[in-house]
Amino acid sequence: MKLDDISLEGKCLRLSEVVEDVALPKTADAQYPGSHCAFRTVAGILPLIKNSYGLLLGPAICLYNAKLTVNIRSLTSDPRPNNLLFLTYSQDDIIFGFHKKVREAILEVDRKYHPEVLFLVTTCLQEIIGEDFDASVEEIQRMVKARLLVIHTDNFTCEDAAPGIENVFLSLSELMEPQETVEGSINLLGFWTSKAKTTELARLLGSEGIKIKNAIPSYCSPEDLSRAPGVSLNIALDHFALKLAKKMKEMFGTEYIYCERPYHPDSIELWYQKIADASGIDLDLKVADLKRETEELISQAKGSFSGKSCALFGQPGRTLDMAFLLSELGIELKAIMLHRLLSDDYRDAQKLLAEGIDPLVFRGDNALQTEKLLSTLRPDICIGCRDYGVLARQGIEPCMLIPSHFKLGFEATNEILNLMRQEPAGFWALRYKEQLLNNGAV
Amino acid sequence: MDLKLKSYPAPSDYFGVLWGLSGVEDLLVLEHGSTGTCSYNVVNYMIMNKQSPKGKLFSCGMDEDDVVMGRDDKLKRAVEELDQTFHPKIIALVATAVTSVIGLDLGGIIEEIQARTDAKLLSFASGGFAGDYTLGIKEVFRKLAMEVAEEPKERKPFSVNVIGPAIDSFNNVSDLAELRRLLSLLGADINTVFTCHTSVGEIESMASASLNLVTRDAGLGAAQILEDRFGIPYVYGLPFGVKGTVEWLKEVGERLDLYLGRGTLASELERYGFSILELTTPLQRCDHLRAVISCPYDYALGLTKFMQKEWGINPSLVVLPNIPDDPKFREEFNRLGLFDVLIEPDTTTLEEAMARIDPHIIFGNSYDLHIAKNVPIRVHAAFPAFDYIYRFDGTPFVGFRGHAYLTQTFVNLLNQNPEVFRN
Repeated sequence: MKLDDISLEGKCLRLSEVVEDVALPKTADAQYPGSHCAFRTVAGILPLIKNSYGLLLGPAICLYNAKLTVNIRSLTSDPRPNNLLFLTYSQDDIIFGFHKKVREAILEVDRKYHPEVLFLVTTCLQEIIGEDFDASVEEIQRMVKARLLVIHTDNFTCEDAAPGIENVFLSLSELMEPQETVEGSINLLGFWTSKAKTTELARLLGSEGIKIKNAIPSYCSPEDLSRAPGVSLNIALDHFALKLAKKMKEMFGTEYIYCERPYHPDSIELWYQKIADASGIDLDLKVADLKRETEELISQAKGSFSGKSCALFGQPGRTLDMAFLLSELGIELKAIMLHRLLSDDYRDAQKLLAEGIDPLVFRGDNALQTEKLLSTLRPDICIGCRDYGVLARQGIEPCMLIPSHFKLGFEATNEILNLMRQEPAGFWALRYKEQLLNNGAV
Repeated sequence: MDLKLKSYPAPSDYFGVLWGLSGVEDLLVLEHGSTGTCSYNVVNYMIMNKQSPKGKLFSCGMDEDDVVMGRDDKLKRAVEELDQTFHPKIIALVATAVTSVIGLDLGGIIEEIQARTDAKLLSFASGGFAGDYTLGIKEVFRKLAMEVAEEPKERKPFSVNVIGPAIDSFNNVSDLAELRRLLSLLGADINTVFTCHTSVGEIESMASASLNLVTRDAGLGAAQILEDRFGIPYVYGLPFGVKGTVEWLKEVGERLDLYLGRGTLASELERYGFSILELTTPLQRCDHLRAVISCPYDYALGLTKFMQKEWGINPSLVVLPNIPDDPKFREEFNRLGLFDVLIEPDTTTLEEAMARIDPHIIFGNSYDLHIAKNVPIRVHAAFPAFDYIYRFDGTPFVGFRGHAYLTQTFVNLLNQNPEVFRN
């Protein structure tokens, strides 16, 4: 395999050429690895719901990988509870039907593990065969104590995992019940860690008497979820959670605001303003102090980064706002890897373009094409790319921002600035080896 | 009903096909399925020494129209792209579960496009419904032996093929290094390893070897095909322990008309042949220790003999992940005095057996070792090994060095858990 053989012609667009909410052009007919599927992401979310189990129904192709994912995650600083159960589809099940097996499995799970909620997750296979799970689940529901929720994750009907994630969020609304509104309480929708209550946002809101009741879906119990509509405000932090916010408004009248995670200090200030306005509080002075600190850090960091170039991979929230932050640091943005431009992205794109910043945008779900692009552009820094070997070979500095994903507001940006100065442990040695190999050591 | 909370859903033949093909250079794998399936596979390669299939495994990115209309144009375009971009010698078209359900005929597609494709096209059509992963490995081995191996121009007298190791084989890096070293002691060399670090060219010329060494039962079918097609005999089995290694070298040597020099053997024994008695004290007796071995057949049989001969421990239970190809496998264990053999037990059965035996030692995969978390001496010895890397080539289980490594590791673990000498 030679990178030189891969053509990028027609696969790169300028940001100014990208149309809102349309997937970027595919970079190859033969893709590796291609986009994540919804099943994979859903299997990763369900362990976050306390007192629940997920019964994953599908062929071994999907189930074996789902199990390994949980196991690998268990070895990290952010392990997920082991609550996934697996029922494998055989050829006979396709011919004779899967309902009886599923029914037996549900009864057994209910009897053996006593979950409050049992998620039944389907794969492409059931959707193609056309088994009507929802109808049979209604019937089984009467026989078990666990609340049964079906999550559909057909991957062949969409280009990414978004519909499956939205289905999980929407299913959670089925656990919710009308509540008296408790003033001064909010839910964060779409915050994927257990650390919501220690974030800067929580501290600022807390200082004004506002309490974060739940971070959904992160480590909420079914009881937490049933009471979740009783807040005065839902803050939807990502577009996956927006449908749940709308549903809760429709079902329970819970007010919501949609404000994706920002990165640039000006954007964070506006973000806090929007939250403060919706919560009926004034955060201006506190936010101004925090903003000053971050701007000071940016000013200090400019010396290290000004004049460098970078490629940016998609980040949680407003990736293009992070691009704006990088340009503020004096970094030339050579390329951004995105799947599609959403509405907030579009506004941020206009802001970048107004500043004369018009980087290449590239669909980053094909590793070979991405490697070819990096090799062609040779940026100094690559933010969000995990392929350390490729970066070391090409002399590109890696920057992985995962720890910042657990933070919100100015503290997230401060963490990013901190992480950008740190080379991942072991990268020096990898680069040294690759340089030796490049020079013909072997 | 085993819903696999503590264990894992058995990987299907689809995985075996991917793993069997993954070590063959100049061969690309193209899945017919949605990209999610291909993308998800990054996970299962990660647990096999973090080996990335980048540049090897591709998806044609099937969508709803393809499913509803049974269209195959994306697959054909992807074949053309791979063929013209990377010029591989072989493109393997691999079905996913969806392919099987919609009934797409990969063989028919190959008939249609082979003439305009430079690469040879092979199809693997079961889509993961034929059985466990060993069936996929066997299918790959058989197809490559039948359709890719060619009549040799010459026969190399002291050259052997090793048939069996693939990316999924536990400890393959070290075991292969030791097999290569042992063969070099005899004066033989490895023609190709089927299918670890091989190439289409090496497989095409694999019939130039004089002997096939089959290291796992999944390779027996391919070895038989190569014997039938080219008259190459084969030897089946792995060299475990000093005695097992001496016997293996003798058998391989006789087939190749090569003999291990006395000086060479003496030197090996001096360096690697230390007995457990030499590493322990009289108050560190091992013969009362209860052991469970949960490994694929070839490792399980080899380790059972090894523990009996070298350490004086009679394993109480063997757990196999699938039914071995050898129809006399139970007799093999019975002959060693081992009558408790479980095949692909569910978690409850395994937990009950563990509670009954209360072992001091377990050799097994990551899931076995988690289930047996109270067993003091736990040794990774099987796949899947999601929490264990075996990339360094100095930790063999087979051969003289394997004997030395296992014995040293075992004694160190005994010393870390001295309570096992007391109960």
